[in-house]
Formats: sequence, structure tokens, C-alpha cells
Amino acid sequence: MSDLTFAQVDQTVLDTLKPPGKSYWALIALLFCGVLLGAGCWIYQIFVGVGVAGMNNPVAWGTYLINFVFWVGIAHSGTLISAILHLFRAGWRNPIARAAETMTVFAVCTAGLFPFIHLGRAWMVYYMLPFPNQRNLWPNFQSPLMFDVVAISTYLTVSSLFWYTGMLPDLAIVRDNASGFRKKIFTVLSMGWTGRFEQWRHYTRGYLFFAALATPLVISVHSVVSWDFALAVVPGWHTTIFAPYFVAGAIHSGLAMVLTLMIPLRKIFNTQQIISMHVLESVAKTIVFTGLIVGFAYATEFFIAWYSHNPLEQYIFQWRPTGDYAVGFWIMAICNTVVPLFLLVKKIRTSIAALFVISILINIGMWYERFVIIITSVARDFIPHAWGYFAPSPIEYGIMIGSFSLFFFLFCLFIKHMPSISMTEVKEMLE
Amino acid sequence: MSAEKRLMGLFKEPDQVIDTLEALKSSPWSVVRVHGPIPNHKIADALNLPKSKVGYFTLAGGIIGFFTGFLFAAYTSVQWDLIVSGKPIVALVPFFIVGFEFTILFSVIGNVIGLINVGGLPDWGGLVEYDPRCSGEHYGITAACDPVGETALRQFFQDRGAQVATLETSSQPA
Repeated sequence: MSDLTFAQVDQTVLDTLKPPGKSYWALIALLFCGVLLGAGCWIYQIFVGVGVAGMNNPVAWGTYLINFVFWVGIAHSGTLISAILHLFRAGWRNPIARAAETMTVFAVCTAGLFPFIHLGRAWMVYYMLPFPNQRNLWPNFQSPLMFDVVAISTYLTVSSLFWYTGMLPDLAIVRDNASGFRKKIFTVLSMGWTGRFEQWRHYTRGYLFFAALATPLVISVHSVVSWDFALAVVPGWHTTIFAPYFVAGAIHSGLAMVLTLMIPLRKIFNTQQIISMHVLESVAKTIVFTGLIVGFAYATEFFIAWYSHNPLEQYIFQWRPTGDYAVGFWIMAICNTVVPLFLLVKKIRTSIAALFVISILINIGMWYERFVIIITSVARDFIPHAWGYFAPSPIEYGIMIGSFSLFFFLFCLFIKHMPSISMTEVKEMLE
Repeated sequence: MSAEKRLMGLFKEPDQVIDTLEALKSSPWSVVRVHGPIPNHKIADALNLPKSKVGYFTLAGGIIGFFTGFLFAAYTSVQWDLIVSGKPIVALVPFFIVGFEFTILFSVIGNVIGLINVGGLPDWGGLVEYDPRCSGEHYGITAACDPVGETALRQFFQDRGAQVATLETSSQPA
């Protein structure tokens, strides 16, 4: 890495923007089909009604909310890498910061679709906006659902602005190496950036403020998401540990997704010199750390259930590992807490194949974490005669496939048309 | 001013830029601007650039945001005086959360306004006197001289290891 010159960095990244081959377009077409499948399922649900999903009484929050929390979680590591690690001056974050920020923006966009989908009658979404009805009754700002609307909208706005501002110097590099119509597009996008020290003076200051503001925001956003559950008096939800537990889980899943995306990206674009083994290893070490926090949170939940002497809490935490959803619970527990520990072994965390497999297992585990939290608590709450069972319907599976396809579709389009590695920040590392 | 000539010396090393800036201070030529592919504190110090004022916009945005968020939530609540979950009509804790999110949102918007305002973006005019190599691996010092001093200025840059580019002079002030 340190033997690279500035020109080599630029050339390596600019090469990723060369016209793609047929295999790229085949992948894009495949992902687009997945998006169409999801859109088709959603349209079907709009026409027939939300009853086509597997949600029932008492499990009124199904995979739509699971996916919402999952994608918001994925979004978090982008801000961790771009903002928090920037403040800590962790140099290894520079080569992956752009891709992680991009992941954040697209993950929040994907997450933002699920409240619309979950509503059933999507056109009623304005009920969630701060807009009064005919009797001048406004939405209730004391509700965590309203906190969520404000927090997620703020997060999408802030992460998009942070992402675009961070790209300005790189867009100027692309402009300076482009010709014809492409040059015109990048001239507009780069807003006439010329790297004057007068511009750098304001830019570095502004970027620092962005990072300083995004850091508390990212913590608040997933805390607010956790309060959607924790402020309800449902066994398994009503606990003060939820905010830090959700934030750690979000970063855990997001870092795993960073590995899932970066490992093929560096291979396909031949950027191993920039996204080096040291960078991947650093992400892996951070995953061990977040995995330990998540494991500690799981253990604390069980301890508190036992220590509280609350029979309802005790029942739910006995039922989770042994009841109808025990498979989901054990997938969650093993993938999120045991599997990351393998990364303590240097031989494993420096093996690309092992890293890739572990990152995917953590992604699966984190999806199941949201499944276990959301479904089990409402499936077995206070009154036994009101207990229920939830299984996702084919429509929910279709929409879930659509959401994953949409995320990867947007990401794949981005990496071939915009600089997916921050050339400027990599050069700063070399300086 | 119309007869003024502007040359850009393109350097690969920041130390060369700092030395050249020092030498230019005691020369008959004036530094118009300096470009670089990455920020550099030493060059910024050599240019005696004052501290950026972007932070004032960010701070103003944050203050406006907090009061907007908190007061907006309170305003909507007092429209009906409906007690929810036994909380006061103007409940401090939940409305503080709304205020916090608005603080961040408005601070960031203020930050962007600051960058646009004091940072002078978009700066289409800046592209006239610009060399594309400055976004790659070169630092560029643009210096102004009168027409008779052009050769001497060119030699001055070359003596310090620079490549020299003659710039089209824009009509905008330096």
C-alpha cells in the first residue's frame, strides 16, 4: 500500500469506472428481476390487502419490521467507518469508507420502504408525517414511532449529504480524467471543485463537523429504533439494555456486510493493493469486539430475566431457546457470538474465504436476531389463550428477495459509475 | 490588470510548495492561489489562511434546530391537550428526543450552507485558471506577474523543480 503513488491510486480507481462487460450487465439484469419480483409482490399486496402477509393476531409485526430493523442496522457501520473512525483517525478505514457510506445510503433507502409496505395502505403514510388532520389533531410526538420517523428521515438526509460532500474531490478527479459528455456530467457533479487551499480549509472543517454530528446521530437512530420495542410493556422487549444492545448489533451486522461487499469488490476490480489484507483484518478485529458486546447483551437479557423474578420475562427467555423458534434462536446465538470468535485466530482472519463465509453467517445471524426479538415476544405474551404462531408468507419472501435485490442493484450500479474508493482519503494515508 | 500574466508551478512534493511559497514572499510576484490533491496543514499554515467560519453556520443551525424541534413537538401537543400515558401535555423527555434529532438535522444543513457560502461552491469560474494535474498528484502555485517578468517567474518555478503551465486569465478577481 505504502509503495503506491498518487497516480497509481487514481488509475486503479478510475479503472473501476471503465465500461463494464456483459457479465456485469447480466448481474444487473438478474438483480433487476429480483427488484421486479419484490415490486410485483408489493403491488399484489396493495390490491389484495395486507392479509396476504403472514402477520396475524397477536403477531402484528412480521418480516416487514424484521427487514426494516435489519437494513437500518446494516446502514450503521457506514457511519461508524466514515464518521467515528474518522474522528479516531483510524487510517485503515480510508480505503473502505466510500463503499461503507454508499452502503449506508442504500440500506437506509431500502429500510425506508418497509414502513410503507407494512402499512398495507401505503397511501396513508402521511398519517406518520407531522401533518394535522381535519380536526387539527397532530401525530403524537410522545410515541417512539414518531421518534423513528424523525430519526430515520434525519439519518437519510445526513448520511446522503455526508456521502456526497465526501465525494466532491473524487468527482473532480474523475472530471479531470474524463472527456465529452461524461466530463460535463462530472463537472456539474463536482461543483467546480479545484482543490484550492481556500476550499480545502472550509472542506476539512465542514467534514470534521459532519463526522462529529453523524456520530451521536448514528447512536441515537438505532437507540430510537430499539425504543419502538423497549417502550412497550411486552415481555422480552421492555428492557433498558435495548438501546446499546441494538447499536452494537447494528454495527456488528454492518461490519459483516462491509466484508461481504468488499471481498468480491477488491477481487473483481483488482484493488487488493488499496483494500489490503490489513484493512480486512482490522474490520475482522472490530467484528470480534462487537460480537463480544452482542454476546454480553444476550447473556444480560437472560440474567435479568432470572434476577427479576418476573415470571413472564422468565417464561419468554426459557421459551426462546426451547420453543417453536428455537432454531432461529440458536442460529442467532451461534452466528453472532460463537462464529466471530474464530476471527481471533490470525490464520482464519487472514483467509479471504473464511472471512467471506463468516461475514455471511453473521449477516444471517443478525437477521435472525431481529426475527427472534420481534416475533417471539408478541407470539407469547401475557395471556396464553391469545398466543399465536407466525410464519412468513410467499409474498413476504418475495418482498424480502426484492429488498436484497434492490440494495445490491443500487450498490452494483454505483460502483461502476462513481468512484467506490475515496482516492483523496487513500492519498492522505500515503502522505 | 488586463496585462497581468499568470503562471502555475506544478510540484510533486508539499515541501517544495512550502519552500516556494516562502521564496515568493520576498519576490516581486504575488501568489494568487494554491491547489492540491489533498489537504495539507503545513501548506495552509504557509499561506496564513484564517480559521474557517463554517462552524458558525453549523452552530447556528444546531441552535435553531433544537428549538424548532422541541417547540414544534410542544405546539402540536397543545393543539388538543390530549393526555397520553399519563405524561404531561408538554413532556420534556420525549420532546427532547425530537429536539435532539432536529439539532443534528439543522446543524448539518447549516454546515452545508456554510460550505456553500464561505467555501464559494459551486465555483465554475475557478475552472478557468486551473490545471487538471492538480487533482492528481501535483500541487499547483498560481503566481501573477507583469508581462516582462514572465520569463523570470517561469525560471523561478523551474529552479525549484516545478513544471510550469501558462494559465488563461479569468475576468474574476483573484
